[in-house]
Amino acid sequence: MPGQLVKVLEPISSFGGNIQSVVHRRERKTPLGRVPVTIIFDVGERVRLNRILRAFRSMGVRIIRIGEREGAVRSTVLLVGHIVHTDIRDTIDRLNELGGVMVSDLSLAMGRVGQESAARMTIAADDERRTALALSKLEKISARKKLLVIKSVEGM
Amino acid sequence: MAIVGFGNLGRGLARVLIEKSEFLRRTQGLIPRVVAVVDEHGAAVDEDGLDLRRLLRVAERKGTVAAHPKGKRGKSALEIIEGTEADVVFELTPTNIKTGEPGLTHIKKAMQAEKHVITSNKGPLVVAFKELDSLARRCGVEFRYSASVGGGVPVIGLAKGLLAGNEIRAIRGVLNGTTNYILTRMSKENAPFDVVLHEAQELGIAEKDPTLDIEGIDTACKITILANSLLGVNARLRDVRVAGIRNVRPEAIRLAREAGYVIKLVGVAKRDLLEVGPKLVPLGHPLAVGGTLNAVTFELDLAREITITGFGAGPQETSSSLLGDLIDIHRVLGG
Repeated sequence: MPGQLVKVLEPISSFGGNIQSVVHRRERKTPLGRVPVTIIFDVGERVRLNRILRAFRSMGVRIIRIGEREGAVRSTVLLVGHIVHTDIRDTIDRLNELGGVMVSDLSLAMGRVGQESAARMTIAADDERRTALALSKLEKISARKKLLVIKSVEGM
Repeated sequence: MAIVGFGNLGRGLARVLIEKSEFLRRTQGLIPRVVAVVDEHGAAVDEDGLDLRRLLRVAERKGTVAAHPKGKRGKSALEIIEGTEADVVFELTPTNIKTGEPGLTHIKKAMQAEKHVITSNKGPLVVAFKELDSLARRCGVEFRYSASVGGGVPVIGLAKGLLAGNEIRAIRGVLNGTTNYILTRMSKENAPFDVVLHEAQELGIAEKDPTLDIEGIDTACKITILANSLLGVNARLRDVRVAGIRNVRPEAIRLAREAGYVIKLVGVAKRDLLEVGPKLVPLGHPLAVGGTLNAVTFELDLAREITITGFGAGPQETSSSLLGDLIDIHRVLGG
């Protein structure tokens, strides 16, 4: 039905997702008149993905298959402390050592000389299990380097 | 009723009882009679019921209820608890999280004297929750502590009442108004922690010694109480992993904001995890409340997620919870 597709896409943006592509496969319409659609979108946190999927289901959309891509689960985390002096390079290398985990973004706000700094790090992982692994490794590293770790409340 | 502890909360309760007397009679058929009030210097007792207006005036002017015509200096809380005919004891003395005293002894003695207990005092709950809970059962009395978490926000009442059919999987909350105020101001003004803390102290939002709030210990106490009372775990304060907000720098708040987050001091209670620390909360998330507000999200098997928000601290707000507990006991007992 015209307009239906646009309505279906609504939850993606309202829960903070970012649509990359939509392929409408009219040629594969089912006998009941359902039209398969492939949607690729980015979403920051697993919890938000779950909310989007729930919204789909409650609208009567049947989800046939969910495929996640490499580095699909991204988590934002802040570090506060002597980040540079405690070798940020080493911190990142040790996270990247984990398979399927990569530090994909880093912003640093330096304090004045001798003062503490703050950093925002994005960790991209292939799935949730690897995200949890990376975050717990980061917490261990940070405890040793006396850095404060500020994780997201979502997924805690 | 007997009121033990007549500081801000005790006086706030007295004021509300005066204002609401007609309302309580009309809507609940409840005519509360305060037969004893005790503070650190002494007590005032009248089995026919104390005139609360007069009591408040005396307490404000002379600094103790013992100066009331029916008052007596040096009369202790234990004498009052054991020696008066009150049905309900309000335990409103200051919190001591190490020993729970004097509140802990007051509550035990009241229960043993077969009096129902309503408290706002986190100390006894943190130190001896299980003990008090089972003592209340053994003594056949009601034990209520809604005011200990969330001030005026009915966190415990909501969970134990209308949400009782749910299994609670997790509780996440912004449970300390002082730290929430500080973090909100730091974010709005881009100001350092020390400056904002000083401002909060001048406004009376933060205490002279703000350690318990800013180190996250007050929130950890509340998480301990919620874990014990709502998740059925036998948790102690030392089981909570705690980080405070002293090290949260304005730069960190800015980096968070650029990525669409605010930083909040969040307490988390799950069966296998008790934690308090600064967390990233997405803008627009129900826990992203500003100022001195409190907010609690329950993760539930049936209702999924429920969040309540409101004013935590303050004598009037807390009286809402104390009065709610009193009415609840009145109903349970078929009054």
